[in-house]
Amino acid sequence: MTALEGVRVIDQTQVMAGPFCSMLLADMGADVIKVEPPDGEYTRRELPLAPGVSASFLAVNRNKRGMTLDLKQPEGVAVLKRLVATADVLVENYRPGVAQRLGVDWETLRAINPRLVYCSISGFGQTGPYAARGGFDLVAQGMSGIMSATGAEGGAPVKIGVPITDLGAGLFGVVGILCALRARRVSGRGQLVDTSLFEAGLALSAWEATQYWYTGEVPRGLGTAHRLNAPYQAFRASDGHFTVGAANDNLFPRFVSLLGLPHLTSDPRFATPRARLQNRAELQTLVEEVTVREPRAHWLRRCEAAGVPAGPIYSVPEAHADPHAQARGMVAEMEHPVLGPVKALGNPVKMSKSPPRLRTVAPALGADTDAILEDLGYGPAEIAALRKKGVL
Amino acid sequence: MKPLQGLRVIDLTQAMAAPFCTMNLADMGADVIKVEPPAGEDMRRGSTQKNGHSATFMTMNRGKRGLVVDLKRPEGVEIVHRLAKTADVFVQNYRPGAARRLGVAYEDLAPLNPRLVYCAISGFGATGPYAPRGGYDLIAQGMSGVLSVTGDEDGPPAKAGVPVSDLAAGLFGAYGILCALEYRERTGEGQFVDTSLLEAAMALTVWESTEHWATGRTPKPLGSAHRLAAPYQALRASDGYFTVGANTDKLFGALCDAIGRPELAQDPRFGDRAARLAQRAALVAEIEKATAGETRAHWLTRLDAAGVPSGPINSYPEALADPHTLARNMVVDLVHPGAGPVKALGVPVKLSDTPGAVDRPAPLLGQHTAEILTELGYSDEEQRRLRASGVI
Repeated sequence: MTALEGVRVIDQTQVMAGPFCSMLLADMGADVIKVEPPDGEYTRRELPLAPGVSASFLAVNRNKRGMTLDLKQPEGVAVLKRLVATADVLVENYRPGVAQRLGVDWETLRAINPRLVYCSISGFGQTGPYAARGGFDLVAQGMSGIMSATGAEGGAPVKIGVPITDLGAGLFGVVGILCALRARRVSGRGQLVDTSLFEAGLALSAWEATQYWYTGEVPRGLGTAHRLNAPYQAFRASDGHFTVGAANDNLFPRFVSLLGLPHLTSDPRFATPRARLQNRAELQTLVEEVTVREPRAHWLRRCEAAGVPAGPIYSVPEAHADPHAQARGMVAEMEHPVLGPVKALGNPVKMSKSPPRLRTVAPALGADTDAILEDLGYGPAEIAALRKKGVL
Repeated sequence: MKPLQGLRVIDLTQAMAAPFCTMNLADMGADVIKVEPPAGEDMRRGSTQKNGHSATFMTMNRGKRGLVVDLKRPEGVEIVHRLAKTADVFVQNYRPGAARRLGVAYEDLAPLNPRLVYCAISGFGATGPYAPRGGYDLIAQGMSGVLSVTGDEDGPPAKAGVPVSDLAAGLFGAYGILCALEYRERTGEGQFVDTSLLEAAMALTVWESTEHWATGRTPKPLGSAHRLAAPYQALRASDGYFTVGANTDKLFGALCDAIGRPELAQDPRFGDRAARLAQRAALVAEIEKATAGETRAHWLTRLDAAGVPSGPINSYPEALADPHTLARNMVVDLVHPGAGPVKALGVPVKLSDTPGAVDRPAPLLGQHTAEILTELGYSDEEQRRLRASGVI
């Protein structure tokens, strides 16, 4: 049995944050029904692999069923309302205001199903001065402070290479939805769960906010270095960089010993964690004078033998090929009806009794429309009429 | 009422990933009991302090109760076993193997409480070739590919400025725990939930993995730009940079109008999404000819009026003082019993009926030891003995 078996989720989401949120529910066994406009959601046109098959769409819509519905027609809204009556959760990531215009907002739908947990994921949230603005990951990374703390000091702006505020908002959305389902067991009522890219960006800034509030220092981009610990960064070897975290008083002596620099532990510039942080640049110079003499593999072996956390800097394909990533099922293969085997990232959470599963690839546009409508009690004539009107 | 009221969580965690996991559960109302050794966890000795209290510890442990137990003593293990019998969730982030040695592994606790959801968060997970290795955020960023896609196009390596592997592992852990609790509602059984920094970071590379699989390309760092859309990056104004995401035909047209270069939307070099992505450098050069002539504030006002997603690149002092940040309650004031008034980040996901809240500071070392032992049925006399022998 899966963890969320029997939980029905209506997924009115586009692009990344919302689809990622509902995909995490689908991985755990929820019946996620992706509701798309008749011409498909935006992402279906990105990175085509075959006619009508998008790599980007596949990436965040696996394990879902798919139906089309034109919510700009009253008949479409009527179908959605019948679906809502059977659902536990609805996830949407419209700009605030759009759901109201379509007549599928929280206030309207809760009247149909008071047990519905309605999750909105937007750029800035449903309230506050920027609520009406559109927000993308880039904008949220910029406004939350994350960009100001990423990249090299003094360089051009750099964002985190992965869309972290989209992903973070999807994760906070999942946490909110699961908490609301738990509260529903007591109260019998659903509720509105409201999160945003901007707030996710702020919530991921725990260390940076702490640094600013407690020291008055303004966090900056530090390349690969840590703002509160040293040495904890990438160092140069003869053939590229590798990472090392050896900041505490247990690991630092082991690291400098394997470099042949044991005297650094008694050097007043590096004798305490605070001193090492203050003298990070000098420490880096001394360390790299040694590390540049040998390749990465040499230093990684030495660090592993000494129990000093260290690692390579993999490209994405190298990360996929790593034996540990493989052993943990992080790169999986799924069967696609058109493409044959396609790759997918595994779910990062392992569970002993109800593990997440990759069951089905993302649905073709409208693949399950008829089945879902029949399930709701629509007869063949009604379905044909809806199709003729362009509602499906 | 908060959504996780009545849920008891035992927290044997250190540093960031797992404390962030349980912090999110505490924000939602769980009774999180932080179990520390008599000397306190490492973070209590962090270099940034207020009135002798560690800033990083206070940040990650708000809303929890504090219990001191020496797990190297059998009487101490007995206390944790008795606590486990009363708990719903147990979270630890030891290196795999260490919990077994202490007698607090899943195998030790599940027989005492078959309903217990036991979550382990480690560097690499409980299985696989790197399971015994220590892992830090930096190392996971390096090995997952996240580091390889962050930074300037041709610059030295840069990591995500916030510790995304730690934070995401904490959130994936919370998601796994909440799903396991749903499973328990139907089956009565707890289970083992296992995630890691490496897997969490890999799960964040959705777009980058997809790009690689779809195109065969190795994703590279792109500064602030998007790998599949343009213009979507930081642009230069006369007094610094601001962000713009104009990835659709409609938004691109609106951007060109807003900057007074409507002809760019008709330029065949930039005629569709694919062309704009292929010609990003030329496109950005044309746009910046216009934007470099006026200030950030000028462009942000114009773009906001035109409905083009855009924003400033805030420093943390700016982000944390932004009116929207405050309107969404993302900055909270707490009074810590030792440090006095302190600030904390708010809850990024808002629940309408049973909202979470940040309303209790981090505990002092052992602040709630007597209270918790009394709840467990330890008499005053027993507590005196345990205290005298240094177990608590």
